[in-house]
Amino acid sequence: MRSKIEKIYMGIIFIFMYAPIATLIVLSFNGSKSRARWGGFTFNWYIRLFQDDKIINALANTLIIALVSTIAATIIGTLTCVGLMGLKRRSRTIIMGITNIPMINADIVTGISLMLLFKVLHFETGFVTVLLAHITFNIPYVMLAVMPRMKTINPNVYEAAMDLGAKPLYAFRKTVLPDLMPAVLSGALMAFTMSIDDFIITYFTKGSGFDTLSTKIYNEVKRGIQPEIYALSSIIFVVVIVLLLASAGFKNRQISEKKIALFRMERRLTRKHVAVFAVLSACIVLLAMYFGGVFARKKNQLFVYNAGEYIDPEVIEMFEEETGIDVIYDEFETLEIMYAKMVQNDAAYDVICPSDYMIAKLISKDMLRELDLNEIPNRKYIGEQYLRSSEAFDPGNKYSVPYTWGTVGILYNRNMVKEPVKSWDILWDEKYSGQILMQDSIRDAFMVALARRGYSINTTDPEELKEAADDLIAQRPLVQAYVIDQARDKMIGEEAALAVIYSGEVIYTQRENKNLEYCVPEEGSNVWIDAWVVTKHARNPEAAMKWIDFLCRPDIALMNFDFITYSTPNTAAREMIEEEDIRNSEVAYPGEDVLKRCSTYVYLGEDGDTLYSDMWKKVKSGGS
Amino acid sequence: MSKELIRLENITKSFDGEMILDDLNLTIHENEFVTLLGPSGCGKTTTLRIIGGFERPDKGRVFFDGMDITALAPNKRALNTVFQKYALFTHMDIAENIAFGLKIKNKSREYIEDKIKYALKLVNLEGYEHRMPDSLSGGQQQRVAIARAIVNEPKVLLLDEPLGALDLKLRQDMQYELIRLKNELGITFIYVTHDQEEALTMSDHIVVMNQGYIQQEGSPEDIYNEPENAFVADFIGDSNIIHATMVRDELVNILDTDFVCVDKDFGENKPVDVVIRPEDVELVPRGEGTLAGEVTNAIFKGVHYEMEVQAGGFEWLVHSTRLFETGTRVDIKVDPFNIQVMNRPESEDEEVLVIDG
Repeated sequence: MRSKIEKIYMGIIFIFMYAPIATLIVLSFNGSKSRARWGGFTFNWYIRLFQDDKIINALANTLIIALVSTIAATIIGTLTCVGLMGLKRRSRTIIMGITNIPMINADIVTGISLMLLFKVLHFETGFVTVLLAHITFNIPYVMLAVMPRMKTINPNVYEAAMDLGAKPLYAFRKTVLPDLMPAVLSGALMAFTMSIDDFIITYFTKGSGFDTLSTKIYNEVKRGIQPEIYALSSIIFVVVIVLLLASAGFKNRQISEKKIALFRMERRLTRKHVAVFAVLSACIVLLAMYFGGVFARKKNQLFVYNAGEYIDPEVIEMFEEETGIDVIYDEFETLEIMYAKMVQNDAAYDVICPSDYMIAKLISKDMLRELDLNEIPNRKYIGEQYLRSSEAFDPGNKYSVPYTWGTVGILYNRNMVKEPVKSWDILWDEKYSGQILMQDSIRDAFMVALARRGYSINTTDPEELKEAADDLIAQRPLVQAYVIDQARDKMIGEEAALAVIYSGEVIYTQRENKNLEYCVPEEGSNVWIDAWVVTKHARNPEAAMKWIDFLCRPDIALMNFDFITYSTPNTAAREMIEEEDIRNSEVAYPGEDVLKRCSTYVYLGEDGDTLYSDMWKKVKSGGS
Repeated sequence: MSKELIRLENITKSFDGEMILDDLNLTIHENEFVTLLGPSGCGKTTTLRIIGGFERPDKGRVFFDGMDITALAPNKRALNTVFQKYALFTHMDIAENIAFGLKIKNKSREYIEDKIKYALKLVNLEGYEHRMPDSLSGGQQQRVAIARAIVNEPKVLLLDEPLGALDLKLRQDMQYELIRLKNELGITFIYVTHDQEEALTMSDHIVVMNQGYIQQEGSPEDIYNEPENAFVADFIGDSNIIHATMVRDELVNILDTDFVCVDKDFGENKPVDVVIRPEDVELVPRGEGTLAGEVTNAIFKGVHYEMEVQAGGFEWLVHSTRLFETGTRVDIKVDPFNIQVMNRPESEDEEVLVIDG
């Protein structure tokens, strides 16, 4: 009886520990994108993973950073230990304490302080700063491994070598180093693991255009997890398990062997491996220098900051090929995050793609540069009506060129919602409790509540906002989740019945799931324009103008439309759309009647922003 | 006396403000077996390390063969060291250990192989070329350390308590080995130890050190038989060291009893110390000696009996081949030649001054 209970208990523990990983691995072979539906077995995600340049690039960065930082930290850490041995015990203890600080310090503090230091010193954040940061936090791990071994070394051994005629360096290399080697190697292994594992410090020191695996995955996850990431995580898990088992097996064998044999082995290991280690280090340092050169900002680089999956990657490649300009492409999750980044470093990006109200805000903060229209001849393909609409946030069209536009509405599943959808009210209908997805964005969430009550979606009246906020709080129990890009996948996977969504997502989702339907509610909604702007302190404004011009070329605009399915304001491109139902789609190009009841967001000013974000916090925390 | 080889001149050395050596002067001659003897912390190892080049003196100079080598790095000195804990290179086999110095000097392969054979034969470790240091006993390891040093044909071999980590029997064997080696090699040995027996057994010349000063130098016989002060007397062998008064030349009052002695020139009624070795105290039946006493303890030591005799308010240590049982009433008698009279220092500082003077 008792043993049965024990077994069940063990079973439960194992399930808790491994169920998540098992789920992950199963999903990585799932033919369907949905988490809720099994679409048959496939290796597709693994193949896609290795075809994804960005991920492979991030993987390469991770490995290079880990190797170079490990080697540097191992050398510095070991030499520090050697130096410390020459000190008195008291000073040694103090210095050991100080060098341990990066290890016991919260990563976030280390990360932020390193970021600040690099800023103050005017370091270009990127490969070099991440490398320096990793070396910094790796040194204590090396010292932690080497120091105890160092203390056991008989100082006479080194003196004996000198006594026999060896120069100091030769004596160290021939006598102390081989004795230290096992500890040095284990310290290096630890540093390597720490470097690969690190996210927080990397995140704060990486700047724009550079990602390691951990920051890359984080970016991906923010925008809705792609199954490629399941595949990648599964691979990482398997590799870690294999390494773990291998090292455990190695240890066991070591212990069972006789001491002399062990010494022989260690000796062989050190001799040969020191040579290999040296060659390897040399290669990696060369590689690092090469990559350091690549990542150091060159004259003809363009830093682009865009929303997630908001361009056909091929377009970027074509631009690079045609112009010879290197594009460093970063993605943001929400406009608010983008703005924060801009405030942090207004020269980090040359060209960005925000929405209407955010452009107004950037203009009012004097953060944008006037466009040189002579350099953007292709702007002529942008429809007159969109330029006119843009004047609402960019009077005179001086700063922006429209890229996409669309409405906000409700995407619903015909099989799950049997009634006609006409009003925002349906999102407050208890029938659909747990089936509703809201946008995790301040303006869009409030827009829904404000429009439903018939208020202006740009209101700054505290009373009206309070009502809207109360409505959103009351709605909370019905809402399955506040999401951004995941809404699309969840709706395709039929995990929810109703979602607030941008019209640009509709064509794509309908392609994947025929049951989905889109509606702009009759109370009215938001019509928005996303447009390209050049930052005030852009370091390569010429390239930025070329970029915008390139995106205005009808064939390029069409490629982007095919890829992202957001309505293009490029009239020439629209005419080239082959499928008639899409070219004249009510969703992509709604009629006057729909547009009449929609309005654009207006920048609300500093006070308005504060009011909204305060209310938003209340909504998100459940009204307390 | 043979030619001067090493001279230390006015050597001063302190660590962390603590004076280890103070104005030390020492001359070492060619082909001598010199032992620096003293308790731990007396400065003997520091002296050796200064000769080896591992420490730089704060003041003073070191001469080797007439050349000033004070600032010369250890790898450039024509001497080699055998360390207390062997300090073998644990990741190299015995042959590689021995070849270490020769390889640095770019000797030919044949030369090195010959030397390894020769050295291993010299230290009785033939056939051990490819063993690892950790598979050897302490005594064997120490011999490898010696072999590793001597293949470089140093003019001087420095040995820092080389037998300290060995057990008694092995230590005695190694003492003879070292003497044999020294004779075969015909080079100078500078040997550091705190073991007076080792020093007396092996040395041609002993330098007794304490608290950074040389207390006495001389042949083992001089040091043993005629210690110049109470420290040396106490440190070298067992002794009866007794406060006494020099009545006049050739007469000393010990424990209120006058003893005839051979020492002169101490003045009259001067406080002195006398040293009488335990084997020089004669026990005779009551009435036949100078001082009356009673045996309080007697144990058999193999070669002799060791007895304690309470006489004149002092507990005398006596070595004799003849046993007097505990409780036996005896008289004590000392041959005048066996009474060693020394100046009695009033303080430690004076002790030092007396010796330097």
